Amino acid sequence: MKHILTGAATALALALGGPALAESHGDNSVTLQLKWVTQAQFGGYYVAQDKGFYEEEGLDVEILPGGPDIAPAQVLAGGGADVIVDWLPSALSAREKGLPLVNIAQPFKTSGLMLTCWKDSGITGPEDFRGRTIGVWFFGNEYPFLSWMSQAEIPTDGGDDGITVLKQGFNVDPLIQRQAECISTMTYNEFGQVLDAGVTEEELLTFKYEDQGVATQEDGLYVLEENLEDEAFRAKMVKFVRASMKGWKYAEENPEEAAEIVLDNDETGAQTEHHQIRMMKEVAKLTAGSTGALDEADYQRTVDTLLAGGSDPVITKVPEGAWTSVITDEALN
Amino acid sequence: MGLVIAAIVLWALLWVLNVRLANGPAAHRPAVRLGIPVIFGLTLLIMWELIVHGLDVPQVILPAPSSIAARIATSLPILWQDFIQTFVKGALSGYVIGCAAAFAVAIIADRSDFLRRGLLPVGSFIAALPIVGTAPILVMWYGFDWQSKAAVVVVMVFFPMLVNITAGLQETTQMQRDQMKTWAAGYWSGLWKMRLPAAMPFIFNGLKISSTLALIGAIVAEFFGSPIVGMGFRISTSVGQLALDMVWAEIVVAAISGSLFYGIVALIERQVTFWHPSQRH
Repeated sequence: MKHILTGAATALALALGGPALAESHGDNSVTLQLKWVTQAQFGGYYVAQDKGFYEEEGLDVEILPGGPDIAPAQVLAGGGADVIVDWLPSALSAREKGLPLVNIAQPFKTSGLMLTCWKDSGITGPEDFRGRTIGVWFFGNEYPFLSWMSQAEIPTDGGDDGITVLKQGFNVDPLIQRQAECISTMTYNEFGQVLDAGVTEEELLTFKYEDQGVATQEDGLYVLEENLEDEAFRAKMVKFVRASMKGWKYAEENPEEAAEIVLDNDETGAQTEHHQIRMMKEVAKLTAGSTGALDEADYQRTVDTLLAGGSDPVITKVPEGAWTSVITDEALN
Repeated sequence: MGLVIAAIVLWALLWVLNVRLANGPAAHRPAVRLGIPVIFGLTLLIMWELIVHGLDVPQVILPAPSSIAARIATSLPILWQDFIQTFVKGALSGYVIGCAAAFAVAIIADRSDFLRRGLLPVGSFIAALPIVGTAPILVMWYGFDWQSKAAVVVVMVFFPMLVNITAGLQETTQMQRDQMKTWAAGYWSGLWKMRLPAAMPFIFNGLKISSTLALIGAIVAEFFGSPIVGMGFRISTSVGQLALDMVWAEIVVAAISGSLFYGIVALIERQVTFWHPSQRH
């Protein structure tokens, strides 16, 4: 009860303080809200900061780590950040819910999302998911999975014919404990954790969303549409994207050094060197081939995947103005 | 801005009305006594609605009460499923198991001073474990479904119950216990006829504290792995989907069910401990 009351009070305080938070776009400070905790997944931004790429552009960038209870889009709406890292599916869903997010750059070319299954469970393809238990991340990360399953016309509400979905935490225990036949993994993070737990690659079967033709765009940069109308803000974002992409390309070429920089910036001390170097090398494969500009074909495939949801599509209508090349056109030339 | 001013004016008017009612000649009538808090609650809701619209607060920061109500109306089946999963299966079963276990341990501790001195520190140790640490472990042990949530609730309610029952059983005086002995009452009949009734105010104190703990425990435990149903699941995932109206709809359900649960325990207490000075009206 007490929690609910304090929650309501906090919300009210936020609501009353909301307009006062409106930041001025005139200065050179940029606040970036990450999608997750400090790790090599965001190596490019930390490199750009540590190597002084932001400074060269005259920017003062603050990088806010995320976490399991931080929804970047909400931080953006509340005025707590200028720009956020998010996946396109959840950004499009937020847009449809009335929060006008716009993609201004797409440093990740390829999706790193996979389902990792035990080979001995007898699963050979998506059809075999029926009647199984699969771990899925929620909090906006469930859209790719739900789209894929509704395209395959496999129900996700349990039963013999459908999938029993578990809300997977931020670890790989459900697979190791055999509480689930398959779990969600990222090429650059959880898959390595499964291997670290003593499982060999031969024992696993992995379905990459890329290979299944249902990949959606991950880790793009998003801002609020209304801010883009402001010229000073646009100029700031051009500098930010240019420096960030410089950071990403540096991280691609020097993964060990980039991993070190990430470790230096990890205030929690939770990350290890071995894990971060591996992550940085895997992330480099995903950012390879991206200049930072969003590839319209990739965007279209994401939208088609999300719209194709049979009974329960993630988005119900074709999004308009959900991305812009204004920033990248200027930043990358 | 007009809406915000309207909200403040309205608040002032209803405030005056409530002060008049509370100090007026009809203040003792049941209808008025019930009406005063109702008017106050409605005032808050109307102000919330007007201020949210007046200041253009984004839906993802704080939805208006009207949109929360609309969400509740359209999502009744989902809310009902979540309520059954979290409250009935998770919180209630854990509450019953936890209270029963605490009772059994309290009797054991009562029979032997040696065990009391050994068990109570263990009980307080369990109580000191943070839920964020125990919940993931219990999810590993008992799986993702409601059983692990019930286990978290057991851990949460066990200690307050144990302390209250043990203290309650100490409530009688040596003179009263000797009196039972002279009537040739054994341990169990002495417990049943005299010491348990005397302990009831303590036991209900524990039951009331545990009723709120049980609901909190069941909801929070779902943050650490759950099937795709339940109040905690819905609250934590709807934030990520920016469906804040759904989050608040679940909060409303949690508030109502938690208050009812507490109220029912308090009502039973009134029936059972009618003899206690605190129950005289």
